Amino acid sequence: MSEPEPLVIVIDDDAPTRETLSSLIRSVGLRVELFGSAQEFLKSDRPDAPACLVLDIRLRGIGGLDLQGRLAAANIRIPIIFITGHGDIQMSVRAMKAGAIEFLTKPFRDQDLLDAIYVGLEKDRERRQREAEVAILRERFESLTPGERKVLHLVVSGRLNKQIAAEIGTSEATVKVHRSQLMKKMGAASMADLVRMSETMESSPRTNRSS
Amino acid sequence: MPLAGSYDRLVVALSVVIAVAACYAALDLAGRVAAGKGWSFATWLTCGSLGMGVGIWSMHFTGMLAFSLPVPVSYYWPTVVLSYAVAVVAAALALYVISRKQMSSARAVGSGVVMGCGIAALHYLCMMAMQMAADFRFDFLLVALSAVLAIVFSYSALRLAFYFRDAKEEVAWRKLGSACVMATAICAMHYTGMAAATFMSSGTEPDLSHSVTVSSLGTTGIITVTLLVLGFAILSSIVDRRFHAQALELALTQTKVELARVGRATSLGELAASIAHEINQPIGAVANSASACLRWLAMQPPNLEEARMAAARTVREATRAGEVITRIRALLKNEPPKVERVDLNEVIREVLTLAGNEIEKGRIAVKTALAADAPVVLGDRVQLQQVILNLITNAIAAMALVEIRPRELSIDTAAGGGTLRVSVQDTGVGLGHEDVEQLFRPFFTTKRGGMGMGLSISRSIIEAHRGRLWAASRSGRGAVFQFSLPIADGAA
Repeated sequence: MSEPEPLVIVIDDDAPTRETLSSLIRSVGLRVELFGSAQEFLKSDRPDAPACLVLDIRLRGIGGLDLQGRLAAANIRIPIIFITGHGDIQMSVRAMKAGAIEFLTKPFRDQDLLDAIYVGLEKDRERRQREAEVAILRERFESLTPGERKVLHLVVSGRLNKQIAAEIGTSEATVKVHRSQLMKKMGAASMADLVRMSETMESSPRTNRSS
Repeated sequence: MPLAGSYDRLVVALSVVIAVAACYAALDLAGRVAAGKGWSFATWLTCGSLGMGVGIWSMHFTGMLAFSLPVPVSYYWPTVVLSYAVAVVAAALALYVISRKQMSSARAVGSGVVMGCGIAALHYLCMMAMQMAADFRFDFLLVALSAVLAIVFSYSALRLAFYFRDAKEEVAWRKLGSACVMATAICAMHYTGMAAATFMSSGTEPDLSHSVTVSSLGTTGIITVTLLVLGFAILSSIVDRRFHAQALELALTQTKVELARVGRATSLGELAASIAHEINQPIGAVANSASACLRWLAMQPPNLEEARMAAARTVREATRAGEVITRIRALLKNEPPKVERVDLNEVIREVLTLAGNEIEKGRIAVKTALAADAPVVLGDRVQLQQVILNLITNAIAAMALVEIRPRELSIDTAAGGGTLRVSVQDTGVGLGHEDVEQLFRPFFTTKRGGMGMGLSISRSIIEAHRGRLWAASRSGRGAVFQFSLPIADGAA
């Protein structure tokens, strides 16, 4: 499966700045989408590609920091690079704490922005990969029978077959059958692999695949 | 046997004129003495007392000269000089008391008594100076009455003079009126004093050493000189006051201009973050466009169309940065106001951009309803910008502490009846129940570290543009500040 072309989304209410950023980003061969306000962006369709957001702190209507908060609340985990004409420490701390990739104060070096964009896109690529992986695991998990799921939970929490059999009131032989079935269905090569898969599923909250 | 005296009506009338002139001069001089400090105070007090002394003394002396007896009368001049000295001292006391910052009742009564006694003394000294083949006897009841009149006159003169000393008008009718009242009192005192004396022929020849006789020519001389002295005193007082007023006005104008500039600098200081944003925006675009241009050129093959567009953008943004700086410099510069056609809608939009950062930081929603036909007013663009800037920064500050309701800044412009009305509304803490007018007083502030000049300066700017600026509370939901300006002729 070939990776979709990455996308940089620029949200700035100043048209010349938007065009400048667009030109700069396109000059290194990246795809750009421009928005004049956070509202416009929220109304648009989320792209199915690794993306990152170049966001002006100061926007008319919903401000940059507000948008960051809203996206986080909606569990849309797109990496954000803040740019601002004048940032104070308070703002940058708030932005970085909320997970921003970078906080650039204008005028900034073009390379600094591009570097941040690469970091952001890489992060998003990883995230998408992880999410894709989780989605596959979830899909496989869904295919397990209720009995197999029960056994899986007990196996990854370190119980022996005998203990599991006692707990769910069945024979050890049945547990063994469930166990080999679920290993096959989950595509796990080893016990360690299965534990890792289970951890991956648990640590990743369900996300909107299209973000 | 008593001698029958008679009055020369003309001289009596002249003595009244002198009294009026002396009183008017006294009222006028009081203001000058009060306005003076150090040397100027001492000079005005000295010259004023000498001049007023001439007036008081001359009135009495002329009043006596108006009285002719059937025997020749001469005057013992040392006593005459002494009476003048008493008049000067009384005048000095009066001017000094009037020129103080406050006049307590005790001080007014005390000075009135001393001054009244002085004037009575002057009067009777003048009479004592008479050398003639006659004696006089006094009716003590009338003497006492004249002394009481002198005291009452002095007291009321001090009160009136204190009341009128800071009157602005140069020839004030009220001042003249009170001078007439005072003069009437003086004349009443004098002629009562004269009536108190009965002249008896003594038959003995008076000792005429050190005595002078006063001919009618002498009387004319005394009256003329007195009126000249008083006229000069009044004239110099008027000149000095006008000069003083001009100097004060100049100083005030300079202070106002300086304050207005400081006010702008303060407002701009509050907006430092926004201004930095406003400048850094185009500068950032310049730097990045130029880099983009280089990148497009460095491609193989170079993308000339993109490079050209990036270069063009660089130029545009550099120009924009320059414009922003020019705009801010205009606000900080000490330039004389210039009258031009100003589109207030445009000014409002500019100021909103300048304040954008504070608006964003304060999480304030801005609503504008600007009159579509964009009426133009005549005025100084920078000053009007300052007023709007001030109203908007105030609104932002008023909303900073409000958490329970949405923070909204609404700016409307509306034209009608030949005026353009601009209203700036906020949903801030409001104005409270106090006197709204006090907001416009200098140094009234609710902001920490505020100078309290913003609204005061704004109001004087709007009034200088023949407009009005006023404020109102929005029933506990913030405040609204409005101003109206006449629309320029020929505007759409």
